[in-house]
Amino acid sequence: MLRRRRRAVVVAAAALVGVLVVVVLVTVWPGGSSATSEVDGNASAVLYTAGHRPAAPDFTATTLTGSKLNFASYRGKVVVVNFWGSWCVPCRSEASTLADLAIQYQRAGVSFLGVDVRDNTASAQAFVQSFGVSYPSVNDASSAVTQDFSSAVPIAATPTTLVVDRTGHIAGAVFGALTYPELNTILTSVTAEGGVSR
Amino acid sequence: MTDVRAPEADLFEPAAGEPGAPPPGPGPANPGTFGLTDWLKWGWRQLTSMRIALILLFLLALGSVPGSVLPQQGTNPAGVQQYFTSHKTLAPLLNHLGLFNVFAAPWFAAIYLLLFASLVGCVVPRTFRLAGSARTLPPRAPRFLTRLPHSAEYVTDLPPAQAAEVASNVLNGHGFRLRRPDAASAARDDAGPAPGGDWVSAEKGYLREAGNLLFHLALLGVLVSVALGGLFGYKADRLLVQGTSFADTASALDEIYPGRFVTDADLAPFTMTLNKFDASYIASGAQRGQPSSFDAQVTYTERPGAAARTDRIEVNRPLSIDGAKVYLIGHGYAPVFKVTDARGQVVYNQPTPFISGASGNFLSQGVVKVSGAQPEQLGFTGVFVPTAVDVGGTLESVFPAADNPVVSLIAYAGNLGMNSGPSQSVYYLDTSGMKQLTASPQVLQPGQSLKLPDGQGSITFSGYVPWVSLTITHDPGQVPALVCGIAALAGLVLSFMIRRRRVFVRARPGAHGAGYRNTVVQVGGLARTDASGSFEAEFAALAAELRSAHDQAAAPAAAADRQHEEE
Repeated sequence: MLRRRRRAVVVAAAALVGVLVVVVLVTVWPGGSSATSEVDGNASAVLYTAGHRPAAPDFTATTLTGSKLNFASYRGKVVVVNFWGSWCVPCRSEASTLADLAIQYQRAGVSFLGVDVRDNTASAQAFVQSFGVSYPSVNDASSAVTQDFSSAVPIAATPTTLVVDRTGHIAGAVFGALTYPELNTILTSVTAEGGVSR
Repeated sequence: MTDVRAPEADLFEPAAGEPGAPPPGPGPANPGTFGLTDWLKWGWRQLTSMRIALILLFLLALGSVPGSVLPQQGTNPAGVQQYFTSHKTLAPLLNHLGLFNVFAAPWFAAIYLLLFASLVGCVVPRTFRLAGSARTLPPRAPRFLTRLPHSAEYVTDLPPAQAAEVASNVLNGHGFRLRRPDAASAARDDAGPAPGGDWVSAEKGYLREAGNLLFHLALLGVLVSVALGGLFGYKADRLLVQGTSFADTASALDEIYPGRFVTDADLAPFTMTLNKFDASYIASGAQRGQPSSFDAQVTYTERPGAAARTDRIEVNRPLSIDGAKVYLIGHGYAPVFKVTDARGQVVYNQPTPFISGASGNFLSQGVVKVSGAQPEQLGFTGVFVPTAVDVGGTLESVFPAADNPVVSLIAYAGNLGMNSGPSQSVYYLDTSGMKQLTASPQVLQPGQSLKLPDGQGSITFSGYVPWVSLTITHDPGQVPALVCGIAALAGLVLSFMIRRRRVFVRARPGAHGAGYRNTVVQVGGLARTDASGSFEAEFAALAAELRSAHDQAAAPAAAADRQHEEE
């Protein structure tokens, strides 16, 4: 009897230790993985190492000006995909930086594409006009395009900016409002790659 | 933990009176040697005692009180801010104690982790003990069965061994677990004051221990299920205007409370469109204005590329999509505004959700931020009144349905403060960088426009559409928790309904020696609880059956005997 009681206490203690270990692991388990590296020491901007790049989804959507856009037609080019909304304060603060970079990297063959999230066309067009955005944006009022990308990269909030390489894989990301050096570093690295890099 | 009848002292518990049982409390048997291990053992015993578990449970309930009394960071950050400004000395003190984020506070975690440890530490050993007691054999038959609460005695013609055998068969037929004498106990029987004879011990009602065991295991199961829900489940909110769509992805949700192991990729990948929302209200009588029905008609696709389906969501009738449940929890009005700026360009044209405040009948407030207006940004604060009645110069809503909708607007021009700085609430207009354009609120009916002064443009109240607020939940622990809850209840019922009861039969050679016709059969019965009298009847029936079985078995022998005598 005594032996059984002692064994029960040991089992209970082991169960408790197990629970505590799980709790500790859950609390302190480091996030992220070796598949990405930080850009300029900033955790919100990352470069995906070759071989660990998630594939960007193919989608078809309507632009703010009403024409159809098929994302697959960008294959072979480096594309900057910027998720934004006219209602979003950080989007406004990064808008002119993005417009400048779009012009700067035009000669290097980099395309820019906006994804206008949870917005209304009238407000969005006013935004595009006031910041002199020259590249197209697709209407994503329903967030369906965002959802397509979310299975590849966690898009927790607007703005998020993704850089898609020439093979259609996501090579870099900036979560939150971007700065010139962050996107510049990612683009310098991705445009230097050949067309076959994965 | 659940058995308040102190099983340690129970006659039926094999552990009762165990010599190796630890002494209660830190009073050591030999003082001076109460070392660290003894203290740890004592601490563990205290932690796993029912008293401490109850205290912890009470503390847990007490600890969640501030969570409902004070505004919480997670659910109401604006309220916390407000509390800080109104209670300048008290608020930092409360904040230091974690009272604005109770459920994430270390002391709260300490309580529930200790409670969990206490429950596990109590339930696991008890499970083992119950499993053990469900396997044990009945004890040896006492020597004098007439001393038991229920007893019967009669004489049979069968020899003791045969009488015991017949009794075994009868009791076996009633589903009793049996025990017959082994060599050691037989020897002890022969040495006693009333020597010899044969006996049967029988016990029934082990299902009681099984029920108790089931209850405790199910209790652990409930704990695990709750943990499962907390780790792998999520809850999210989304406001959806009629005629618009949303995708169940992190950035498209207004609020999301994910479990520890939930990533964005784990959200059910559905998209949903609100086609139409109908609310109806009782139009007359004492219940006037009370809602009679809400009905949201939606079209959804379960995953990208799947076929679109149409369904309805009503209050208490959620829609299940791919493991997630979508609940309808609220609704309101979104007036549609069209704003033209000084250049004559349409810079805003959309339904704008207004939120109804504490005042009834959906008198709702909202703001319109026209960040793209040039040369200056425009802003409006407004009130939407579904059924407007002018009461002494102020507008009041007398009915929740939009029978006479009007909006009342105050216009501002200047800097909305949206070009830099932190994110803004869409329901709050920061007028610090703006000047008021209209001295008093301007009332508009559907279709009417307000021309802004100095050629700054105009705003048109085009109409209104309803919006609904949806809550999306996914709780993988829900079904296991329900199953475990039912199992716990079933176990509890079993352990309350079924009583352990023992029946002993002892057959001794009669006073006249080990011959025929005078074997004394004693039958004794004992039930765990005497409160219910049903065992008395059961015992009487059993004793009668045993007697008739003995008589029947003895009859051929007696007949043969008689024949033998006649010859």
